[in-house]
Amino acid sequence: MTDPLALDPVLPVRQRSERPWNDDLPNDERYAHFEAHVTAGGKIEPTDWMPDEYRTAVLRFVEMHANSELMGVLPEREWIMRAPTLRRKLALTAKVQDEVGHAQLLYRVAEDLGKPREAMLEDLIAGRTKFHNVFHYPTKSWGDIGIIAWLVDAAAIVAQQALRDSSYAPYARTMQKICWEESVHIMHGRDVVVTLMNGTDSQRVLVQEALDRWWGPLMQMHGPRGDRAKDRDLHWRIKAKTSEELRQEFLTIYVPRLLELGLVIPDPDLRLDEETKVWSYTEPDWDELRSVVTGHGPRSQERLEFRRLNREDTRWVRDSILAAAPAAA
Amino acid sequence: MSVAAAIAPGTRAALAELLLTTADDEFVSGFTDSEWTGIAPLLEEDVAISSISQDELGHARALYQLLAGVLADGRDEDALAYDREPHEYRHARLLDHARGDWADTIARRFVYELADEARLASIGTGYRPLADLVEKLRREERYHRMHLVAWIDRLARGGPVPRRRLEAALAALGPDASSVFTPLAGERALIEAGILTRTLAEADAAWRADMTTVLVPLGLALPPHAPPPADGREGHSESFRWLWGEFTAVRRSEDGATW
Repeated sequence: MTDPLALDPVLPVRQRSERPWNDDLPNDERYAHFEAHVTAGGKIEPTDWMPDEYRTAVLRFVEMHANSELMGVLPEREWIMRAPTLRRKLALTAKVQDEVGHAQLLYRVAEDLGKPREAMLEDLIAGRTKFHNVFHYPTKSWGDIGIIAWLVDAAAIVAQQALRDSSYAPYARTMQKICWEESVHIMHGRDVVVTLMNGTDSQRVLVQEALDRWWGPLMQMHGPRGDRAKDRDLHWRIKAKTSEELRQEFLTIYVPRLLELGLVIPDPDLRLDEETKVWSYTEPDWDELRSVVTGHGPRSQERLEFRRLNREDTRWVRDSILAAAPAAA
Repeated sequence: MSVAAAIAPGTRAALAELLLTTADDEFVSGFTDSEWTGIAPLLEEDVAISSISQDELGHARALYQLLAGVLADGRDEDALAYDREPHEYRHARLLDHARGDWADTIARRFVYELADEARLASIGTGYRPLADLVEKLRREERYHRMHLVAWIDRLARGGPVPRRRLEAALAALGPDASSVFTPLAGERALIEAGILTRTLAEADAAWRADMTTVLVPLGLALPPHAPPPADGREGHSESFRWLWGEFTAVRRSEDGATW
């Protein structure tokens, strides 16, 4: 990753918004102003002065989100060609297109923090930056397409809704649009699943098998429990909720919906404490999560290699278009 | 009595052929373009080509729906689109060409888009539901044309590599370019019924004149001048058989299931 200390602010000081800490103050004072503003719920614009620590943290967070949208395209993309009706074909193409659009929006947010898009894409395909665990797994059947669009997007939206309050204003604004689109994906996914569950025996088996495959990665997706006090992303209000809060929220909403459809959740220890309203569950396999997100998942290298080859194949187009762009846009 | 039921039997078969060939063109074109979703050369272009492929598939769907009304044999638009053997598809040979690289895609889309425009401009008011649909399609196709003409221009003037690739792509398509205008058996009946306002051979001439306005100023060669082949919609390629295998894979995995 580019050293953020080497990055210049995007705009000169005089063009930044009116914040007390944007003035020429000693760094400690600026930092104190900034921290008080952010921790009290204030927003930061890209033209504001910000500590390198904050800039780096937001960039890392948004870049990983953008990477995940872009890599998340691949498992579903394989099934665009196999969509079994015109309506499903249109819905799936539109969904995958949305994910590409989200990647584009998010890379733009990240670009404003000083790292060029091409550098982020190069880091991604070289395995130097990460993407979400769920996009390292294969898609084996049309049942996976329903489960991914419904539950992976649902788990994502639980996290993303909380990001609409992010202290980094461009990210919060982008999440408004993304959340709205993701909610349409969930409806599409649920419709695919419900149609299969109301179909033939073998169609119901497709869904159950897909759920069995995806439950582990879904439970790992938000990450291990962490200490709220030590989480810098929470301190800076880049994000609003802990991993465990997100997982509990996901379980509370979706477990009843899965059971209602007659699906069996592959965790014998999953239960809700009726008094505390807290779910207990079999401890997710955190070793698997660490291994997968560091590029050792069942499809990690294959998907990165696919992106590498595709980038090579299309490089001549970018070379010609980007070189021809007017120098001062 | 429905509008479709009011058509004379001779005209009905001709209309069905026109609808089927046009729908198959849009269907195959939309499927081929959707292969770019997620892997186009630029993120912005990825979003654009995905929109175009959705438009084409939406057009195919609307045309198959009209066809279902005209045939009235119990098949819906999905059955018409999916449940045929590869040799029963009637798309033009131009669209049998595989996705290829970005220059192949732009060249194929450009040649097809302008041909489709000439075809749509040949449809009259003889069958009202089709005339209404064509009005909507032409509104959307305007944007496809702007997109493609911009790309042709960029590739032609984007330096030696893009230009060489574009020229090679156009040359490879040349022999099949006019296959969109393959004569229809019922063309005469369609003209008499006011469903077509001119023959496809006349549309072919209009298409060539239109292409000239884009290609000639850029110093690019037009496809060779040859009448459309009589069998331009028969005997499809290996790459179409592959595509067919993909798009029927899930649907054929269980006969009669709802998806």
